[in-house]
Amino acid sequence: MSLNTDFMVKVAQTAIQGVPVTLQIVLVALVISFPIGILFALIRIYRVKVLQRVVQFYVSLVRGTPIIAQILIVYSALPSLLNMIIGRAAFAINPIYYAYIVFTLNAIATLTEVFRSALQTVDKGQMEAGLMVGMQPRQTFWRIILPQALISALPNIANTTLYLIKNSSLAFIMSVKDITAIAKTEAAFNYNFLEAYLVVWVYYLIICYAAEVVFYLLERYFSKYRRPIKKTSGFNWLPFRIKQPKLERKQS
Amino acid sequence: MLTIEGLKKSYAGNDILKGISIDVNKGDVISIIGPSGSGKTTLLRTMTTLEEADGGHITFSGIDKDFEKLTGKEVNTIRRNVGFVFQNYNLFNNKTALQNITEGLIVARKVKKSEAEKIALKALERVGLTDRKNHYPSQLSGGQQQRVGIARAIALNPEVIFFDEPTSALDPELVGEVLKVMQDLASSGTTMVVVTHQMSFARDVSNRVIFMADGHIVEQGAPKAIFEKPSEQRTKKFLTDILANV
Amino acid sequence: MENIKLIINFLGQLLPAINITLIVSVSSIILGSLLGLLLAAARLSESVVLRVLASVYVSVVRATPAIIMIFVVYYGMPMLFNDWFHTNIDGWNRMYFVIIALTVLFSAPVSEIMRSAYESIAKGQMEAGLMVGMTPFQTLYRIILPQAFVVALPNFANSVINLLKEGALTFTIGVVDMVAKAQMIVANNSGGYAWQTYCALALIYWVISLAIDKGVSQVEKSYQAKRKTIAV
Repeated sequence: MSLNTDFMVKVAQTAIQGVPVTLQIVLVALVISFPIGILFALIRIYRVKVLQRVVQFYVSLVRGTPIIAQILIVYSALPSLLNMIIGRAAFAINPIYYAYIVFTLNAIATLTEVFRSALQTVDKGQMEAGLMVGMQPRQTFWRIILPQALISALPNIANTTLYLIKNSSLAFIMSVKDITAIAKTEAAFNYNFLEAYLVVWVYYLIICYAAEVVFYLLERYFSKYRRPIKKTSGFNWLPFRIKQPKLERKQS
Repeated sequence: MLTIEGLKKSYAGNDILKGISIDVNKGDVISIIGPSGSGKTTLLRTMTTLEEADGGHITFSGIDKDFEKLTGKEVNTIRRNVGFVFQNYNLFNNKTALQNITEGLIVARKVKKSEAEKIALKALERVGLTDRKNHYPSQLSGGQQQRVGIARAIALNPEVIFFDEPTSALDPELVGEVLKVMQDLASSGTTMVVVTHQMSFARDVSNRVIFMADGHIVEQGAPKAIFEKPSEQRTKKFLTDILANV
Repeated sequence: MENIKLIINFLGQLLPAINITLIVSVSSIILGSLLGLLLAAARLSESVVLRVLASVYVSVVRATPAIIMIFVVYYGMPMLFNDWFHTNIDGWNRMYFVIIALTVLFSAPVSEIMRSAYESIAKGQMEAGLMVGMTPFQTLYRIILPQAFVVALPNFANSVINLLKEGALTFTIGVVDMVAKAQMIVANNSGGYAWQTYCALALIYWVISLAIDKGVSQVEKSYQAKRKTIAV
């Protein structure tokens, strides 16, 4: 097989400029969706009226539709919407902001589910113990329950990150100059498509593996107090008030 | 010091507690015994506001009120003045033994960190676990975890400590070390209310035994009286059954 | 109201193209499951070489964006066939390339799902089966697989939905599927009614996903009902 190696080196050099763009999209989406995901997960767990329906609907919608459809909707609706609000300036917006929006919206849905199941793995006894040493429910949540939930969520957060990295390769549709976009232009210019995409493939592999290593290290660092979760009692630890859920109980 | 009157609790139409009244005096070591399903654990959990009572009155640390009318603040007051030792230990999994004890002191009582650590170390010493202070719960045996649980309760210097079947989740060979710690506490004058299946503890350590069945207090009195001359038929039957199995 | 009418109108225009999506998805699911089965067998095999190869394959595919996979297959396979078999496959229906790419993408997670489902059931059940005198194959077929199927089902459905969504990239190599159709409609309207068109598109995918979820939970329920009756 005759690959044009000179061209591949050239693409490698140009496409590397897209790496920060890809990373930026992933990081911004993660950072913004993280707290919102926790909030949404809590809304689901505590079955907040109306809101929980909204969150459920949102998660199902995002999970059930291709990211490409989400991109096309946001990229077609948002500019004209902004145009109505801020006028012509809307068309001068750097498209990367649209990418931030799409991927954040997408990550929120995934992380909501991730945090929901993670919070449910924390035993309700942890909340009770916090209350009985005199801490407020809120204090117990922040200091005891959330840290434990986050650590048990790490593998799934890693998965979400991987999906984000891979999905970000579609940012070129919004004319964001990420790795894929650069490779595409180079390829079309020289008509060496395969070479260009092979190079990009390697870049994505490197980025994904790097992310996996980071999460592996995080997991190992935090695993010092992980034990196999023996008995999880679902989300019964929920007493934000003294009102107790009428769920599982033991008596003797 | 702590008085409960007419405490009621039901789940989904089942009455678990049918009007319980208890008086706890300073220095009391009260054992609550009774068959499974008699409401012992529920009694402890409702008394300490871990579960909402459906009726009843509490007199404790300046509060003199019906359970339903307790404000959030009063609930906090109650929780701050009691200690609770759980059946499943419920140590904070993400904190070391020492941090498990300091957490409540620092966060809830606003004790300075250095001061809290001093108190925590003293508490760990009382349960004989000073050398395990930097271990996480997952690195401790069940008996050790429960001793940390007890240290966590005593460090807060509560007026009364509740024990909810503190040894029933333990392997038989680990029961002794926990009972020993509890015995030491009792002899040092700590006020304790203990739900237990350990008849030896009820008989030898406590100064009052309460026998519960079907959400009622059937009989209470000095251990000698209960164990040797129970006046109720139910108590007699329970004791013969349980002692036959020892 | 106006918008809803528009969306319904666009739905009618997009739906005829759904057969492309369905053909691509179903073929990839079937082929991908078979490949996944082979991979799972490789990962559970005695041979170190097979195990390593399979796990490298899975981890590479796991880290590959769908669009890159599609492009590499689309541009790479004709070249490969030309060089190795001296065959020209440029004239292939482009759908084939998408199906191949999606098959590869689907096989990786599915092999993992099959493997972990098998492992979660196998140990004690195999021993029990052998001890009552069944052959290993009988135990596998009659005892382990039915149970592993139930364990694997929710994750399998999840992967199917992911595949469906990745299949929406079919248009990138010029197959006229629903996404391409939607873009054409938008182009025909000179860029007008774009978001309504794409909402109609999203709606179709959403309904399919919901249907898959619904179907799976139905199957799960029926299995749970069976279990209960056995237990009682």
